[in-house]
Amino acid sequence: MAEMWINMGPQHPMTHGLWNLRIKVDGETIVDAEPEVGYLHRGIEKLCEDRTYTQIIPIADRLCYGSSLTWSHLYCLTVEDLMGIEVPPRAEYIRVAAIEMQRIASHLMWLAAYAVDLGLMLGFIYGMRDREVFIDLLQALSGSRLTYNFPRIGGVAHDVPPNFERDSLRACAFMEKKLDEYEDIYEGSKVFMLRNEGVGLLRKSDAMNLGVTGPPLRASGVKYDLRKDMPYSVYPEMDFEPVTHKDGDCYARFKVRMDEMRESCKIIRQAVTKMPKGKWRIVAPRNAPAGTGLGRVEDPRGEGVMYVVGDGTDKPYRLKIRSPIFVTVSAAPKMLIGYKVADVVAIMGGLDMCIGETDR
Amino acid sequence: MAVASAPRFDAQRFGVIYRSTPRQCDVLLVNGPVSKKLKPALRRLYDQMPEPKWVIAMGECAISGGPFYSSYSVVPGVDQFIPVDIYIPGCPARPEALIDGILKLQKMIKANKKGLLTGK
Amino acid sequence: MTDERGKTNTEQDEGLEKAPSRIDENPEERIIRALLDSFPTAVTDFKKLGAGIVRASVERRDLFKTCKFLRDSQGFEHLSMITAVEYESKFELVYHITSYQHRLLLELITTTPKEDPSVDSVSAIWGGANWQERESYDLMGIKFNNHPKLERILLPKDFMYHPLRKDFKG
Repeated sequence: MAEMWINMGPQHPMTHGLWNLRIKVDGETIVDAEPEVGYLHRGIEKLCEDRTYTQIIPIADRLCYGSSLTWSHLYCLTVEDLMGIEVPPRAEYIRVAAIEMQRIASHLMWLAAYAVDLGLMLGFIYGMRDREVFIDLLQALSGSRLTYNFPRIGGVAHDVPPNFERDSLRACAFMEKKLDEYEDIYEGSKVFMLRNEGVGLLRKSDAMNLGVTGPPLRASGVKYDLRKDMPYSVYPEMDFEPVTHKDGDCYARFKVRMDEMRESCKIIRQAVTKMPKGKWRIVAPRNAPAGTGLGRVEDPRGEGVMYVVGDGTDKPYRLKIRSPIFVTVSAAPKMLIGYKVADVVAIMGGLDMCIGETDR
Repeated sequence: MAVASAPRFDAQRFGVIYRSTPRQCDVLLVNGPVSKKLKPALRRLYDQMPEPKWVIAMGECAISGGPFYSSYSVVPGVDQFIPVDIYIPGCPARPEALIDGILKLQKMIKANKKGLLTGK
Repeated sequence: MTDERGKTNTEQDEGLEKAPSRIDENPEERIIRALLDSFPTAVTDFKKLGAGIVRASVERRDLFKTCKFLRDSQGFEHLSMITAVEYESKFELVYHITSYQHRLLLELITTTPKEDPSVDSVSAIWGGANWQERESYDLMGIKFNNHPKLERILLPKDFMYHPLRKDFKG
C-alpha cells in the first residue's frame, strides 16, 4: 500500500496550541512521525538579557500559561540560589500551598481538554466548572486569574487574604469528593476506556533514555518525583507519596494525574494548617553577584530546570530554561509508531502539551 | 478563551460557536503573540475565510506584541498584516472581556450592515 | 581501553559498596572518586554545590567517553539539560545529568574555542539530547558532530543568524 505523509496542524482541533505533527501512514497505521514546533517562539531567553531580575518575573509567568505559578516560582528559586538568599518560612508555606492549587487547576484543565477530544463533552463541562473553585482561591491570593506575578525574589508579593485557610480546606474536601465522582464517570465510559487502554505504550527504559519526565515517566513505572527525591522549599516536611503506575499506556498516564490531584489536596491541607507566623518577604539586593544559579522543580508536566549566569549587574548574563514538554514531545514518535491515526489524539493529548513552554 | 465557553461564563448563550476550520467561520479570533514563523500561515487562514468576515485581536500580544514587543521573532501586533475590527485588552484578557468584545462586535455589525474595514 | 578501566572500576565500586569506607559513604563522594579513577587527567575541578549536586569540568575531546561511562556504569540514566553560554573568549557547554537511582545531579562543563564551537553529540548515548542539541545549534550556533539531524528547530529554516549570540541585536 502507498505510504504518505500527512500534516496535522498547526491549526487543527487536536493541537492545543500551535504545533505541527507530520505522520507517515500506511493505510491507517502510523509508520513514522515527526513533530514540528517553533510557531510560538518569542525569544524569551534573549529578552531576559535586557530586563532586570524583577522585571523577568511576569515574563516567566507567561512561559506556560496553563501552570504559570510553577515557572515564576522556579525563576525565583534560581535567582535566590544565585544570590544566596534564605526565604522566610511563612513565604515558603504560602508558595507551596499556591503551587499545589495551581497543579490541581492545571490537571483539571488538561482533563477537560482531553475528555472533549475523546468525545466526552461532560468531562469538559465538569472539569472547567470545578477548576473555577481553585482559580477563585488563587485570584483572592494574587489578584489575577491566569498569570499571577505572585512570587518575588525573597518571598511572595503579599500575605494571604483573610479566611484563606477555611476556604482552602473547603476546596480540598470538595475536590476529593469530585475526584471519586470523576473516576466513576470516566471508568464507566466504555468508549473512553477502549480508546485509552493499551494505546501508546512507552517502555521504562525508553522513557528514561529519551528524557521523558513527569506523569508520563511515572506512568511507565519509574518512581521519581523531584518533590520527594531531590526536594526544594518545604517539601521535606510534607507527607505525601509520588504516584506511579506500571503499564505505560494512556490509561496509566490518566490515572497518575488523577491520583496526583488527590496527593495535592493532602499537601494543601498540610501547608495551610502548618503555616507559621512571620514575615512573608525579604528585600533582595538589586545586583546579583557573578556566578551561577540552578533551580529545579516538579512542574505538572515534568521536570523544569533553570540556569542563570550572573555578572555583577542587575540584569542576567544568560538565562536558560528547560521545558519538560520540549523533550517529551521529541519522544512522541516512539509512542505513536504502530498505532492507528485515530489514536493520535489520545496519545498526544495524554502528554499534556503546553506550547508556551515548548517554544519559549 | 477556553474558559469563555465553560459553564461559568458561557459564551454560547450569545450565539458564539467555536469551529476549527476557517471555511465555515465569520469571525477570526487571534489570541496570543504572532511569531514570524506563523505570519504566512495566519495570512493564508484569513484569506481562506469567506466574506463577510471580521477579526478580533484578543490580548496585548495580538494587539501590539505585549511584553515581547522587542523580541526578534514576534510581530508587533497582528494589525500589521490583517485588518482588525475589535481589540480586547488585557494580559491575559479576562473571559468577561471576551464576551463584552463579542457583544460589541454584534452591535457594530447590526449598526453597519456592510461589515467594517473590508467595505464590501 | 577505557571500557576495561570502566569495568575494573565497577568491580571496585562493588567492592566499595560491600564495605563502605568513611569517605565513600555518600553518593557525591562516590561519583567523584569514580570519575577520578577512570579519567584522572580529563575530568578536573570538582566542587560540591549542594545536597546531591556535583560540578566537574571535562575536556572537549573526552566528553563522549565520559558520558558513555556515566550512563553505562555509574547509573546516570537521564540528561536533564544542555546549556550553551557565550563568553568573550570561549563558548561553554553545561551538561546537567541526573541519576535516578542515586539521586544525584552532575553538572559537567566543557569549553570550546570561539572560532570553532563544535563538540561531539551525545544523542547516541541519551536520546533526550537530540532536540536539546538542535536548539543549541539553532539559537547559539554550536555544531554537534555526528548528530543525526542537525537542523533548525525553533526558528524558520531560512533564518540567517544565531540570535542568542552577543553580537546579534534585536
